[in-house]
Amino acid sequence: MAAVVSVSFEVRDKEFVALVGPSGCGKSTVLNMIAGLVPPTGGEIRIDGRRQEGVPPQVGYVFQKDTVFPWRTVRRNIALGLEYRGVPPAEREERVREAIRLVGLEGFEDAFPATLSGGMRQRVALMRTLVIDPEILLMDEPFGALDTHTKLRLQAQLLELWLRKRQTVIFVTHDLAEAITLADRVIVMTRRPGRVKLVHEVKLPRSRDVIQVRETEDYAREFGTLWHVLGEEFAKSEDEAA
Amino acid sequence: MRERTRVTLWRVAIAVALFALWEGLTHPAISKRVSKVVYFVDPFFISRPSTIWRRFWHLSSPAVRVPLWQLLLSTLESTFLGFAVGVSTGFVVGLVLGRNERLALILGPYIVAVNSLPRIALVPLVTMIFGFGLAAKVVLAWLIVFFIVFFNTFQGARGVDPDLIHTARFLGASERQIMRTVVIPSALAWTFASLTPSVSFALIGVVIGEFIGGESGGGIGYLIIASLGTLNAADMMVALIVLAITGIALSIGIRQVEARLLRWRPEYQGRA
Repeated sequence: MAAVVSVSFEVRDKEFVALVGPSGCGKSTVLNMIAGLVPPTGGEIRIDGRRQEGVPPQVGYVFQKDTVFPWRTVRRNIALGLEYRGVPPAEREERVREAIRLVGLEGFEDAFPATLSGGMRQRVALMRTLVIDPEILLMDEPFGALDTHTKLRLQAQLLELWLRKRQTVIFVTHDLAEAITLADRVIVMTRRPGRVKLVHEVKLPRSRDVIQVRETEDYAREFGTLWHVLGEEFAKSEDEAA
Repeated sequence: MRERTRVTLWRVAIAVALFALWEGLTHPAISKRVSKVVYFVDPFFISRPSTIWRRFWHLSSPAVRVPLWQLLLSTLESTFLGFAVGVSTGFVVGLVLGRNERLALILGPYIVAVNSLPRIALVPLVTMIFGFGLAAKVVLAWLIVFFIVFFNTFQGARGVDPDLIHTARFLGASERQIMRTVVIPSALAWTFASLTPSVSFALIGVVIGEFIGGESGGGIGYLIIASLGTLNAADMMVALIVLAITGIALSIGIRQVEARLLRWRPEYQGRA
């Protein structure tokens, strides 16, 4: 069975879009198609109106899985993209230092990933991608494996970083609260085979505080609306599993 | 610290007890109480620590034509050469086949065939081709080391996490950069794991070569085979003990190098 069937949506420039749906609905497949990792069996991906084939150069990808290179220190992990692009060492060091400062990893520059917590490693992965200034940032449940507290801190840091540079972000998650907290629009997908069920504009003002925003009535209303829609899909997947 | 001292003490105690037992059981004054005709354990076969000690000094002295340290040097030279050639060729071939599915499929049966051949069966052939000297010993060591390193590197190169390769690609890496920054470092972890057994096996290959090589090959293996010719168990024991110590020293040395190169691994954290 296909993971997704006729998924179609648009993402605007500098927009933060969250892709939510029950697990196995093909959210990641869609993301991988945009990233050029999986060729679509039909249809096309267009970036800036140009048909996309292969890995697009202006895209950054943050995986759910820990993809920090274990044999490189924090500093050298973050420097990877700059190294690949032949950025001169002096500038490289400057940008890496700035990236480390932005996510509060000072003092861990020369630590190997094995000594870091999951949250710290994911921050390294995030900065490694952001340091090369991608125009489009694809994130596949980047905080999925983290505990609630770490997750909230990283969400806050991501929002802060995003407000500075305003990349176009497509953020896959199964956590509705996370989607509403972060995104301008939430795209709800149906259970497998995935389709777009709903595209929802999140009417919460920027900038958002990831904790305070959850205590507002607006947030509760958004959550209620989306939960109702998403809940139907979750219920169906459970019926099938049973 | 206390635990370590205790372990060390026990080790020393066991060594002392073993040597004392050996000395006692092969010593006339002690064994004569058991029998007047034969020793309790005949030192003709296993010699005796005190004799071995004397022979060690004798063999190390300028009184002999080729002193012990020179034999050892010859063995070490061949071992290092065989080890170096074996590791480098094994690594390169493992890497190439590990990243080239088709080539690996084509060559697979040949590699298995050569590897399943007992190395010792190749000794006469190697001797025929390379003679009795250094070259033959190096080739024998290489024949063993190559396959150990090859198989490990091969596994490592095939087992590279595809997500790490994707990550590198998204960060703008070219194929060559992926090779240098992803494939080689992850394969190296496997290669390093094969170095400790490799160095011991290199020593085995060299000693076998020295058995055959005779005087022109030299080395500790020659001392062993020459002692067999003269039925001299003491000299043989000297050679064996020197070999054992050499093996331990080589393993420790390699492990140090490994710990340094793999210091990023969780099991080496906090030990540097």
